[in-house]
Amino acid sequence: MDFEEIYSLYSPQIFRVCMGYINDREQAKDLTQETFISVWKNLSTFRNQSKISTWIFRIATNNCLRALERAKRVMITELPFHLPDEPHEETQEEKLTFLYNCIAELEETERIIISLVLEDLPQAEIAAIVGLTTVNTRVKIHRIKEKLAIKFKYHGQFE
Amino acid sequence: MDNLNDLKAIWQTANTTDLPKSAEMLRLVKKFRNQRLLKKILMIVLAILLLAVMVFVMFIYRSAMLTTRIGEVLFIITCIILVVTNSRSLKRFIDLKDCSNKEFIEFLEQTRRNQVYFYTRTQFIALCFCSLGLVLYPYEFVHIKLTWFIGTYTFVLLYLGVIWLIVRPRVFKKEARKLNETLERLEKISNQIK
Repeated sequence: MDFEEIYSLYSPQIFRVCMGYINDREQAKDLTQETFISVWKNLSTFRNQSKISTWIFRIATNNCLRALERAKRVMITELPFHLPDEPHEETQEEKLTFLYNCIAELEETERIIISLVLEDLPQAEIAAIVGLTTVNTRVKIHRIKEKLAIKFKYHGQFE
Repeated sequence: MDNLNDLKAIWQTANTTDLPKSAEMLRLVKKFRNQRLLKKILMIVLAILLLAVMVFVMFIYRSAMLTTRIGEVLFIITCIILVVTNSRSLKRFIDLKDCSNKEFIEFLEQTRRNQVYFYTRTQFIALCFCSLGLVLYPYEFVHIKLTWFIGTYTFVLLYLGVIWLIVRPRVFKKEARKLNETLERLEKISNQIK
């Protein structure tokens, strides 16, 4: 697989994961770019010891973690609407912003794990990316889902 | 509306159309030079150059006084300290290839601890050697004339005073605060992966 193929295949996924972690479009784009700079530089030395997707997600999430040295804290964006007195049908964009805000309230590794879950990665792969055991990862995912469910119920946004 | 499949459906609606196209990204990455490591590489190259110049001077110009010889040796030691420290640090970054978040956080923690050690110990020792070298080295050339002696040593002592009493404490305080904050954050994340 050459660089351009890898980029076309993985860049949307990497961008969404970075967005889930950092909750800022421009920073997420920068992190995506940094990820692919690392991929390009190290592609020739990649030895297939892990799946290529695991390798790329590791680079991306490690870049996200490193971003903590630059960014003070993750943004919690104001919802782009005032809650009306009467319930209305939320747009996809509003739902997505709400989801990002809920994720932004989680801890750093939880943000990474849930972003990978939402990207539909198998639990074993998520475990390999984060560096946890599969059992531990399963427990973490369960807890994160519970936390998100509480947030969603509390806000009652999408019932 | 809050089950995982619904969330996945919302998650997938993120707009990714404005990401650079693959050909554009390829152009971008090819232009990229490793900025992060550039400073270290530059420091190593400069220290090696200075080291080479000092060794060359030592052999070409046979100084008569012991103070000059000691000054030269102190400069050489300073250069060696800089080359070794930066090369070790560079090697750690180059060796870091495919690693999990857990390993990466451990790597960052170790890097920051090394930096703290560098600022508190290594840099202090290197600066001591360099300062002493700077005081001893010019003596042979300026001791003949009083005006040269006073002029040179006023400049050297002023320069060292600024470095030791103003620049170093300020940089140290700023760096120490930044490093401690980063270490605290890294520790927090590290505890999440345990």
